Amino acid sequence: MEALDEYLGPPVVLEDESDSSDCSSRKRHKSKLPLAKSKLPLAKPMCVEAHVENSFQKTCRICLEHVREAMLHHRWQEAAEYMASYTQVLEDRSTVKSQPDKELVWRMSTEILHHLPNATVKDYNIIYERMKHSGFKHYLMICLEHSFHLMLHGDIEAAKHQVSIAESWRHGKESVSQLQRIRLIHAYRSLLDYIMWCEKKSTLSNDNSFESDSQGMHTFFRLASTNLQEILKNPGVWDPFILCYVEMLEFYGDNEEAQKVLNHYAYDNSFPPNPNAHVYLYQFLKRHDTPDKKLMKVLKHLQVLVPSHELMLTYSCLLLQSEKESHTQKALGVLLEMLDFQCWRSNLDVWKCLHAVIHQLLQREERATSVQTQMAVRNDWWPALHFTSFHAKKDLEENSELFEVKASLVEILCPGRSSRYTTEMQMLTS
Amino acid sequence: MDEEDTDGYKEPCNQCAAVDWGISDEGRFYCRSCHNVIERTREVVDMSFTSNSNRISRIGNKSRIRKSERGYIWMLCEGFQFILQNQADALLRLGVTPQFKDDVLCQMWRLYLQKSQQGYTRNPIRNLRFRGAALDSDTDMDSAAESVLSDNFTDSGSVLCSSAGSNAESSSDWLGSDYSSTGTSASWKRSRSLMTMKKTLALIHLALVWSREALTLSDLLRLVKEGHVPYVTAYEDLPEEMKLCGPDALLFHVESIPSHRLVHKEAQVLVQFLQLPAFPPIVPEALLHPAPLSLRYLTDANLPDELHRWVCVLMDRAGMADQKRHTLDGGLRPVLPRYDLQAAALIIVTIKVMFGLDDHTEWDLLNKADSHDNKADMFSFRKWYKLVQAALVEAQQRRDQDTARKQWKGKKLFFVDKRDRLIVTKRRRISENVQMCLKRLSSCPVAVHYGGASSFQFCWGDENGSDGPSLHHTKLDGVISLSNGFMTPLNLNYWHPPLRPCNPRTCASHYPSMEPTLPRSFVWLLQLFSFMLDVEAWYLFDEVLEMERRVFGIKTPQMGQQLETRKWLRTEKTNATQTGDPAKKPRTPRKGRNRINI
Repeated sequence: MEALDEYLGPPVVLEDESDSSDCSSRKRHKSKLPLAKSKLPLAKPMCVEAHVENSFQKTCRICLEHVREAMLHHRWQEAAEYMASYTQVLEDRSTVKSQPDKELVWRMSTEILHHLPNATVKDYNIIYERMKHSGFKHYLMICLEHSFHLMLHGDIEAAKHQVSIAESWRHGKESVSQLQRIRLIHAYRSLLDYIMWCEKKSTLSNDNSFESDSQGMHTFFRLASTNLQEILKNPGVWDPFILCYVEMLEFYGDNEEAQKVLNHYAYDNSFPPNPNAHVYLYQFLKRHDTPDKKLMKVLKHLQVLVPSHELMLTYSCLLLQSEKESHTQKALGVLLEMLDFQCWRSNLDVWKCLHAVIHQLLQREERATSVQTQMAVRNDWWPALHFTSFHAKKDLEENSELFEVKASLVEILCPGRSSRYTTEMQMLTS
Repeated sequence: MDEEDTDGYKEPCNQCAAVDWGISDEGRFYCRSCHNVIERTREVVDMSFTSNSNRISRIGNKSRIRKSERGYIWMLCEGFQFILQNQADALLRLGVTPQFKDDVLCQMWRLYLQKSQQGYTRNPIRNLRFRGAALDSDTDMDSAAESVLSDNFTDSGSVLCSSAGSNAESSSDWLGSDYSSTGTSASWKRSRSLMTMKKTLALIHLALVWSREALTLSDLLRLVKEGHVPYVTAYEDLPEEMKLCGPDALLFHVESIPSHRLVHKEAQVLVQFLQLPAFPPIVPEALLHPAPLSLRYLTDANLPDELHRWVCVLMDRAGMADQKRHTLDGGLRPVLPRYDLQAAALIIVTIKVMFGLDDHTEWDLLNKADSHDNKADMFSFRKWYKLVQAALVEAQQRRDQDTARKQWKGKKLFFVDKRDRLIVTKRRRISENVQMCLKRLSSCPVAVHYGGASSFQFCWGDENGSDGPSLHHTKLDGVISLSNGFMTPLNLNYWHPPLRPCNPRTCASHYPSMEPTLPRSFVWLLQLFSFMLDVEAWYLFDEVLEMERRVFGIKTPQMGQQLETRKWLRTEKTNATQTGDPAKKPRTPRKGRNRINI
C-alpha cells in the first residue's frame, strides 16, 4: 500500500498550465522578459490567484462548496448527491493535496450518512473500509472512528475486531503522531476488554457461575490490565480508562495496586493538572474507609485546583469536625472561596456551614479578627454579590431559612455598612 | 514469479479494492496492500510432466497476452488525428457542412504535419512514437500499424494517411528510435509545434473560421464543455490497438477546458506557424460577420430587434462593416479576430450610446418613456433588466450546479505505466464504491445531463420552459427623437474609461481595479454578456475598450513608447478619479454622422 501512495504520478500540467487564472498567467509571461525590460515599472497584479487551478479542481472546489452549503442547511439528500459527484476528487492525479481531500471525503460522507434515514451499517462499513485503505496516513484514525461507530451501535465484538486490526497494523517508521494514535488504540482496546469483562460479570452474577466463565472473565482482565498498566504510565488524561482499571483491580481485591495507580495519576508532576485524578483518589479512599486526615490531604490538593468543587463542602465539614483552631480557619477560607462563585450563592448547606464555622470562631476570639482579615479583600464586592435588597426578596421567596442564616451573618461579614439586605427584611416584616 | 501467476487474476480485493495480488508461501493469494488472504490458490503446474512441452506452451501463451496488451507502435500525431477526426465527426453530426472536415480541417492538419515535420517530408521527426514495453520490433507488427493508420480519414476520400503511412514505411530507420529518451522529448515539448489537446481546438476553430461556419470560438468551447464535442475523455475513443502508455500519454490527459483567451492565442500562433494563405472573405452575409452575429446576441439577450439598426450604424462608425477587417490574411491582416467578443462589445457600446448606462440616464429616459401612451409596445429598460436579471441569476445557478456535478474522469482508466495502473485502478475502485453507496442513498441521478446543443443561452417567448416573455418586437421610440426627418438618440452624453491603450506586455487588465468605480448597470451588462459567451468579465471589458478606441479613432501606440504611454495613462486616470466621475464627453459631433435617414 505504501508503494502506491508514495508513488506520485507526474503532475499533469502538460496540457495547459494556466487556465482559469488568465491574468496571472499574463503576469508570468511578463517575468520572462529580458532583464533590461524588467526595470520598467510593472503593473500591479490585478487578479492573481493563490494557485493555478484547472477546471477539474474548480469543479471539485465548487462541488465541495455545494456539499458544505447543503450540510449547513441540513439538506442531507442534496448533500449526498453532491458528495457522490465529489468522490472523483479521489482520482486526482496531482497528489499534492490528496491527503486533506481523503479526510474530507471520509469525514463528510460519514457525517452525511449519520443524517440519512436509510443508511445501513453496510454503507458505513463500505465508506470506512474504502477510505481506510485509500492511504496509510489516516488508517489508524479511521479504524478508531470505525470502532467508535460500532461501539455506539452496540456492536462491541465488531468494534473490538476493528481495534485489534488497527493494533496489529504496522507501517514503516512510527512517526510521533502515529505513536500517539497507537497508544489511543491500545487504550480503547483495553476499554473494550473491560466492557466485555463487565458483561461477563453481570451474567455471572445473574445466574450460577461456572468456573470456566470466571476464568474467561479473568482473561479479559489480564488482557486489559497489561495494556492499561503500560498506558497509564504515559502522561495524559486517562480518566475513563483509569476508572475501568481501578474497578477491575478492586474486584480482584488488589487495592494496593489501585491506590498506587491513582496516587501516581494524581501526584505525578509530568501529568497535566487534572482535578478528576484527585476526585477519583478521594472516592477510592472513601470507599475503603481511610481516616479523615488522608481524605483532607487529597481534598486540599483539589481545593487548589478547583475552589468551587462540590467536594469542598465535604472538605470544610471535615475540617470543622476535626475541631482544631487552624482547621477552622482553613474551613472559613474554603467556604468563603466557594461563595465567591455564583453557583453556590443560594446554597443553604454552604451558608449553614459558614454559620457554624463563624460561630465556632466567635466562641474562641472576641472580635473574630480572622473573619475580618479574610473579608477585607471581599468587602467591596460581596455586598453586591450576596446582600442586595433583590437577593433578600428572592431568598425570602424561595427559601426563608436561607434568608435567616444569611441575615444573621451580614453584620459579621460586612460590618459597618447599612446593609440593604436586612433593611429589606425590616420593611417586609413591618 | 508471483506476477506471472497473478497476472490473470484482475478481481479487486474485497477489503480495499486494490488489484495487487501476491502469493504466499502456502500458495494462497493475498492482497499486497491490505494483506487480505482470499480463497484462491495458485494453480500448480506439474513440472514433472514432460518438461519440454510445458515450456513451449507457456512461452506461446505468454507472448500472445503480451502482444495484445502492448498494442501497436504508433505516432503521437496519429493519436491526435483520431481525436481530431472524432471531434470533426461530432461537429458534422451537429450540422456543420461536410466540407469542413474533408476540405478544410484535413488540409490544415496535413499542413501542420508538414510544417512540424511529422509527415509529408523526406526527413520526419523520429521520436514521437508510442509503444508498450521493451522494443522488440518485428515486421508484422509494423504492417499492422500501417493498417491502423490507413483507416484514418479514408472514409472522407482523403489519401492523407495512406501517404503518411508510406512515408513511415520508406524511412525504415524509425524503428530504432526511442520515444522515451527524455532529452529529445523535453526539447520537443518546448518547441511550439508539439501537438496538444488545446491545439486540436485551435485547429478546429481555424477550420471553422475558414469554412465560415456560424460557430464562434465561445460556441465551440461550450460544445466541448457540454460534451457534444469529445475533448475531456477523447482518449477513450482511440482504437483498441493504440495503447496509451509512457509519459507522453499525459498529453492526452485532460483536466481542464482551455479558456477562450488561451485557445485564441493558440490559434493565432497556429496561423503564424502554418503560414496560412488569405482566408475566404467574411462577407456581411456570413454568420461570423458582426452584423448577423450581433443580431443573434441581441435575440439571445432579449433586446429589441430595432436596436440592430443602431448596432449597424455604430459598426460603420467603427469601420467594421468592411469585410476585409474580419478576414484573416497571413500577410496583410495577420490578427485573428475574436468575432464573438467583437459582436458583444458592439452591442454593449450601442446600449451605452442609446441609454447612457451611467446609473442615471437609463432610468431617467425610462421615466420619460413611461409617460408615453403606448406602453405595451415600448422597450422599457427597467422591465428588460428585471426580466433578464431573473433569468441570468437562474442560469448562473444552473451553470454553477452543472460545474459542480461535472464528472471529469472517463469510463476507461487513464494510466501511464503498469505501476500507475495499480494506483489508478485502486483509486477508481475506492471512488466508485463510495459514490455508489452515496448514490444509492440519495437515489437521484448524479451526472449532468445537458440538453441538446443550442446556440442560445436563454429562451424568450410564450412557450413552456421559456425564461420570460419576448421583448424583441418592442419599439425604441422612447429613447429616440425625430427631428428634421433624422432619428437621433435622446441621450446625448457618453462616458468612457481612459481609452489610451497601454502595452499588453506590461499591463494586465485594469478591470479589477476599475470595477468598483464603474456604473453598476454597465457592470451588470458586462456580466450578462460574459455569461452568454462564458468568458471572464475583464476579457470582455478589454474588448469593449478596444471597440471604443475604434469608435473614437484612437490609434494603438508605438511599441517604443511604453513608459510615456504609462505616464500619460496614469495622469489621465487620476484626473478621472479626482473629478469622481468617469470623463464625460459630449456626443454632439458624432450625432450628425449617425443620423439615420428615414
